[in-house]
Parts: sequence; C-alpha cells; structure tokens
Amino acid sequence: MSEAVAQQAEEQEPEVDLSIADKVIDKYIDLPGNLMPVLQGVQDAYGYVPRKVADYVAERLNVYPSQIYGVLTFYAQFHLKPRGRFIIRVCVGTACHVSGAPRIVETFFDKLHIGHAETTPDLRYTFEKVACLGACGMAPLAMVNDDTFGKMTVQKVDEIIAEYNQRPMK
Amino acid sequence: MVNLTIDDKQVTAPKNSTIYDAAKINGIKIPILCHDKKLKPFGACRMCLVEVEQMRGRQVPACTTPITEGMIIRTSTPDIIKARKMVLELLLLNHPIDCPVCDKGGDCDLQNLTYEYKVNANRFSDEKFHHEIDYSNPLIERDMNRCVLCGKCARICDEIVSFGALTFISRGIETKIGCEFEGSLNCEFCGSCVSVCPVGSLLARPFKFKARFWALTNQKSVCGYCGTGCNLTLGVKDNKVLTTVYDENQGFHNGQLCCRGRFGYQFINSDKRLNTPLVRKNGSLTEATWDEALELVAARLKGAGSSAAALATPRLTNEELVLFKRLMETAGSANYDHSAGYAHAALTEGFAKSFGAAASPATILDIQKSDLLLVIKTDSYETHPVIGFEINMAVKNKGVKLNILSDKRGKLSKLPDAQTLVHTPGSEIAVINALAKTILDDKLAAGTAAAIPGYADLEKALAGFTPEAVAGQSGLAASAIKRLANDYAKAEKALILFPIGNAYPGHNADLASAVANLALLTGKLGTEGSGVLCMAEKNNSQGAVDMGFYATSGLNAGQIMDGCASGAIKTLFVAGENPVVSYPNRAAISAALDKVEFLVVSDLFMTETAAMADVVLPACSFAEKEGTFTSVDRRVQHIKPAIRNIGQSRTDFEIFGQLIAKLGGQAPATPATVFGEIAASAPGYAGMSYASLGETGAFAPVAVTAAFVVPKTVAVEPAAGKLALVTGSALYHNGTLSQFGEGPMHVCPEGYLELSRTDAAKLQIKENDLLNVASAIGSTKLKARITPRMPEGVLFSPYHFGAAAINQVWSGAPVTWVTVTK
Repeated sequence: MSEAVAQQAEEQEPEVDLSIADKVIDKYIDLPGNLMPVLQGVQDAYGYVPRKVADYVAERLNVYPSQIYGVLTFYAQFHLKPRGRFIIRVCVGTACHVSGAPRIVETFFDKLHIGHAETTPDLRYTFEKVACLGACGMAPLAMVNDDTFGKMTVQKVDEIIAEYNQRPMK
Repeated sequence: MVNLTIDDKQVTAPKNSTIYDAAKINGIKIPILCHDKKLKPFGACRMCLVEVEQMRGRQVPACTTPITEGMIIRTSTPDIIKARKMVLELLLLNHPIDCPVCDKGGDCDLQNLTYEYKVNANRFSDEKFHHEIDYSNPLIERDMNRCVLCGKCARICDEIVSFGALTFISRGIETKIGCEFEGSLNCEFCGSCVSVCPVGSLLARPFKFKARFWALTNQKSVCGYCGTGCNLTLGVKDNKVLTTVYDENQGFHNGQLCCRGRFGYQFINSDKRLNTPLVRKNGSLTEATWDEALELVAARLKGAGSSAAALATPRLTNEELVLFKRLMETAGSANYDHSAGYAHAALTEGFAKSFGAAASPATILDIQKSDLLLVIKTDSYETHPVIGFEINMAVKNKGVKLNILSDKRGKLSKLPDAQTLVHTPGSEIAVINALAKTILDDKLAAGTAAAIPGYADLEKALAGFTPEAVAGQSGLAASAIKRLANDYAKAEKALILFPIGNAYPGHNADLASAVANLALLTGKLGTEGSGVLCMAEKNNSQGAVDMGFYATSGLNAGQIMDGCASGAIKTLFVAGENPVVSYPNRAAISAALDKVEFLVVSDLFMTETAAMADVVLPACSFAEKEGTFTSVDRRVQHIKPAIRNIGQSRTDFEIFGQLIAKLGGQAPATPATVFGEIAASAPGYAGMSYASLGETGAFAPVAVTAAFVVPKTVAVEPAAGKLALVTGSALYHNGTLSQFGEGPMHVCPEGYLELSRTDAAKLQIKENDLLNVASAIGSTKLKARITPRMPEGVLFSPYHFGAAAINQVWSGAPVTWVTVTK
C-alpha cells in the first residue's frame, strides 16, 4: 500500500475501540446462529459497522469476512459508514408524494448540503427518503430519530434544523 | 434403488438422488449452469427445469428435486424448451456478448447452451452491468459483468477449500459475487473458483490470450509437486504447456487442485530451463556436447567405489531412481540418498520398525470415511493442500471430528468444531506418548494390543509420560491430553495424519513410532477409515523409499555431506536436489560442495547447487517423461510425455542409462522394462504393469507386521531471551522447484517470518518490517508477517527460497533458538 493510499484508508476508518465489540460478542458467543444479533449489537454500539469491527467479528466468531460482508449488504438495516446523530427520514410514499414530499426533500438537500442516504461531515445529520412511515393521515411526514413531524412545510424544515442544531451530540 | 421414468425410459437410480443425478447416471443430459458434482445442490440457474407428471406437470428444478418411486419425468417438452430459452434470454440480457475476446470461448457453458437452444434474438432489452474488472492479482481475473450468479465459485471456496474468499454481495438486481468490502482477491489462489466458473467471469490470467480452448491438446499427467498424487490435464500447444485444464472426473480429487498444481506449471517451459550440457573450463561453466559431458562423468565414476556418492530428488520417477541406484552400484558405491537423509526416516526407520513396512497403512480415501482425524501439525494443509481439501470435506460434510496437535494454529484450526492443542515447539512426541499412557491407564487399549511384540517395554517406557508430567513441558492442560486420548480411543474409526519433509526434522522415526504406537494400542489399523498416513513431501517420495533409494549399507545424505567436507567423497552426483537451499545449515553445505573434487548436477535449472558444479546436465521435467510416481498412500500412477524434450535436455532415465552403458553395464531400453523389474521385486508392486495401472493408478498394498517401538524423546530446552523458530512449508510452495513456477512466485515471492501479535508488539515490529534473524550458526533478513495463529515466543518461516534463505540460521534442529531485531 502506498503511503497516500494508507493515509486515505486511515482517514476513512477512524480508530475504533474493539473492547466495545468484545462486550457484544461475549454476550452472544455461545448462541447458535449468533451472527445477526452480534452485527445488530455492534451497529447499535458504534452507530454503524466499521470495517475493523466486521473483521474482528469474523475472527472471533470464526466466520469468513466475506460472509459477514454478504450479510451486511443484504440487509438494509446495516450501515457501513458512520451515521449522523440525528436521522432525518422524509416519507416519499404515495400520500406524502401527492402532498408535496418532493419539495420537502429538496429543501432538506439544500439546507444540509447532502443527498439521499448521506451524512453531514460533522456527523450531525443523516438524510433518508423512505417509502412509507405508516402515518399517511399526517402527510407529508418527516421523522427525526423517533420524533414525528406531520403536515410538513418548507418553513418547518428550517424550524426542525434550527431545533436539532441546538441538541447535544451525545 | 428407486424406479422412475425419464423421457419415457424406465430407469433406476440410487435413493437420495436428485432428478438431475438420476438422469445423468442413465445417460440423459439435462442442461445446467450451477451444478458441480462436488458441490451441494443449489438451484440457482433454473436451466435444469423438468416436468414431473405427479406434480401436475409443474416445472421443477432437476438439481434440487429428490426422486421418488414411480416418478414420471419429462426433460424436454416444448414448454420446458420455451422456459429454458427464456432463462437464457434473461441471462443474456445482462451478459456482455464479448465472446471473441473472452478466454472462455469454446469452453463456455452459457455459450454452448445459447447455441444449443438457438437463442439468436432477445425479446427483452436492458443495460449491461458496469462492474469494474478486478485485475489486482496476477493469477485470477474477475469480471463480474459476465457473471450469471450460479454461485459455484463462492460455494466451492466454502464447501471444499474452506477459505470463503467469495460471497454474494447485496441483493436483487445489484447482486454480485465479490470479496469483503468490495476488496480484491486475497486468498489461497488455488483457482478452484476459476475451474468451476461456467462463463468467463473468473479466468486464469497466466493463460489469457495464449490459445483458444479448441487449439489445445489435452494431455493427462500426474502433478510433479507434492506427494498427494493429484491428476492433471495439461493444455499443450506447440510443445508448450500453456495451462492446466479442469476435468471434474479426474482422480480421487475430482479435478480439484491447489495453487502450485493449477498455476505452477510454468517451470516446464520456463526460459530459465537448461538447454545444453555445461562443463567447467577455466573456472566457468561453458557449453559442451552430451558426449563430452557424459564422458567426463563416466571417467570419474568408473571404479570410483565408495569415494563416489549420489543424491537424488524424490521427484524422479521410480524407474529413474532404480537406474540411478544401479549406476552407483556399477560405480561400486552404496552411498546414495535423498531428502537430506532425515526427511524419509519416519518411513524408512519409524514405520519400517513399527509396521514392518516403510509405507503408510492408510490411504487418502480413508479421510472422508473416518470418524475422527488426528492431525499432527496444522502444516498438513500447507504441505498437501488437496489432502487438506479432503479434511475440509470430511469435517464439513461428513461430520468427522478433527483434532489437531500442533505448535501453532492454522487453516485447519478454523474448521467447525476443530480442537487444536497448541503445544510448545518440539514437544509433540512427549504429548503423543502421554496420549498412549492415558490409553493404557484408562484401559482404553484394544484387547489385541498386549500380544504385539514390545508391549511390555512400551508400558515400562511410558511410565514417566503421565498427562500431568507432560503438561508442564508441553504447555497443554493434562485434561486436554486425557480428553484427546479418550476421544481417539473411543472413536470407532480414527486416522492419524502427519507431514514429513526437509523442513520438518522433528517429524522423524521417533514421531512415526509414537504415532504408530497409538494406532497399534487401540487397534485403529487395517480397517476402512482408520490407520496412519505419513504424508511425504515430494511427488515421488514414497516411490524413492519403495525403490530403496536411501542409505542402507552406505552413507546417508548427512554423512555424504560430511564426506565431501572431509575429502572422503571425491565425486558427488546430484540429480535434481538443491542441497544449498533445501538442506539445513547453508554455510556447511556450501563449504562441503566447494570442497568436493568433482560435482555433477543434473537439473532443469541453474540452481544454487548446479552453479557450483563441474558438469551440469540438462534434465527433463515430468511433462517430458515416461515412468511412474508413487503417492503418499502408495498409489502408483503412470505418466506419459505430454511434450517433447526441451532443448537438448534428456530425461534422467536416458542420462543414467547412457552412463551405465559407458561404465560397461547393461542399461535397460525403456522405463517399461524397468517397471517390469520393479513389479517383480518391490514389495506391494507385484503384478503391476503400465497397462494395469490405467488412468487411476493402482495401490501397492501395505502388509503390516506390528511391533511397539519406544520412541526417543528429546526435551527442548528453552534458551533465555530467545524465540523458538520452527521451519516448514508455505502453502504455495513445494521444495525448491516451485520457485520456477510463476503462479506460486506471484503469490509468495520470498521467504518471511511469521510471528505472534504479542511478540510483534513487544519488539515493536510492524507488518513487512525487514527483520534480522540470528541463530548460533548465522543470520538472515526476512520480512515480518504478524498473524494471530502464532503462539507467543514461536516463529515460523518457510524454507523454499534461495535468497534470504532460512537455512542460513537453521541447523537442522526441530527448534532453532533465535534473536530477532529490526
């Protein structure tokens, strides 16, 4: 590996504390079929599944690293890149779409300077378009982590961002 | 057997067959892309759809549907043909039609089926894939644009190779085959995935653009690397071996090969091959005629008596070894040996005493039929990878229990439920004795054991080897030793495997006896799935032993080297061996070869040893020879020339024959004549002839006369502040020959020093740091490899390499104490 490439890899993958993964793995180590709970556990703990953690899980569970990657890419629930502290999800299902969801999405893109499934460099926000959140009566709908915002407007986008900019990162 | 009807034909097939298997054994072809007879049914491609009347004519995949009594199956109704055509149309929707430049052209299942089903138009249209082609390694090219997602590569890598380099990534239309985190292939490079790929997604890069598939002549042969005896098909064009061709019906291994077998053939047609005889004139080797060179050698050998000696590589054929022995006898010398003199001792001394035969009382076929495998050293996988595949399959498919006794962990330790007992280096014989002691103490010995000669002596000698006593020196828990002894003794069928070779001096006669004692004590011998398999290093190591090409009344290899140094040996004939690299203590070997008056080397290459010679004779590779090789389990196989001799090279058979004639002896005309003599004299070979060997070869049976032999144990004294270096084989190499195979050298080009993470942290060593390794006899520089498999305080280094060679620090002891500095 050339120095530049090595440096780049370093930047992409910050040092991770494997003792956190150890705790999760220790909990499930004797359980048959433990790969899914372990991967879910480490994702909960780190917010995503860092490559080093995936490799470490492979070593400890004696599962091929490739197989772990196969599982991680098969399920939408796993994330391989760091995720924001606040996950903004805007519904683009039929009901929301007809009540103006595309404009809500565009506004978030403009304000946060990120696109779908992307994360702001300060790791505060991750934005996702989702198919349906199951509350069509409140269309157009947005969610920030577990908070729900119904009858969204372009103005409310500013308010939401202003509010969550004040929230602590931890 | 189950009765069923396929295409209006009454047929029978074994129970548990699938429709596909039943059709196949009855000569009915069902098209398929995702099936390989070695792999579990998968049902990915949907090409094998058939109609089953009992299922109301529904179309079912033949490869995953089990047969039932009275089933009525139709394999090619108009509806089925229509369905298959559509499957092909859908596959071709994304598959690029770049057949003119695809190396798979002519050998491509998709191409052949498209032609067969006349899919000349496509009703659908879609974009092709735009996956990046992986050119990151020199052996395997991955073009996922051509992939049909049959999954065979990922399955073979898991089910047989047990490496798991490839997997399905993502899902739906985005699914592709790849490595973790979309990285490049970093695996064993056995090429199994390439061999089963039905399209041109996985290609052997060394063969790219070399020849169209149909331009090759396929020549069957036997691999010239390790002692497994794998069968090969060489793809030949214009007297050049251009590739190895996969044949799923070849050999016990069904065409399965390792990196060196599949990608290591380039030495045959290497530019570096010696083309003419060379004679040293005024200090430098100059080209000479065969007559001149052979005259010189004959003059030296004539009447030389015991001042002449010979070393041969066990890569020569049985016939050549017999002739070489005869040449030395004609010269009046009994000084001949192979494999450094000690590397065959497990067979020639150990088994010879314990079993009354210098051969293994088990075969490779026993591995999958056993209940429990006890593998001594994880290196068994690296030394004999295709035997390793058999172990993988035994453990993963047949539920065979795997126990490993080793000085480090390894690939085999990762198999499901494998129990690895990691002992301190050099303590294996003591541990095996402790196993025997436990078997005696726990009354687990077979009733027949007490009647075997030497029982009382063994019982007495084992008194000090209680698990508790051995626990201390071996670093193992006494309970673990007891558990293993119980598991081994109580298993209905159990097989012990251990590798031998130049790099494993600890795997000597004593280890062989210790292991034999276990089998004899418990009666795990002589039945299917039980026994002991000693895995000799080179392709004809067992043959060299069977032909008696080792010191019996004369000097052994070590003594020959001493004789060279002292001046007692004046003429040394080395055929194919490269002692400068492959024998321990390089400085001493070089000095001895320097001292010897006249050194003749016949070899394919200008090796480190040949460079010191007075006469160098260009020899032929296995691909140019006729003769027989005997594998580790005494399977005798016949090889025929696949190509004509390269340059002026001659087979060692011709060289020895011509020399015998020059010495006034009678040289046999053909290898077949010599094999006739072998069949008449070598134990177990009786009744064999080239014709009777056929394509699969024949086993030379091993008749066991059992005796208990007390093995000597030498306690390894740790040296304060030093690390224990153990030598061995690297997965990609075998002996020193693989240095001339491009494939192995692409993957593993140089020696290295493996060390544990703990030691690396202590010595502040990073991966690839250049380390100075020093022992009492010398030092060398090796790159660091930090691996989780090494225990603290233990180092591993492979021995194959001429540059930065480990025999500069390794004196031939099983454990060398070294210091490591940056």
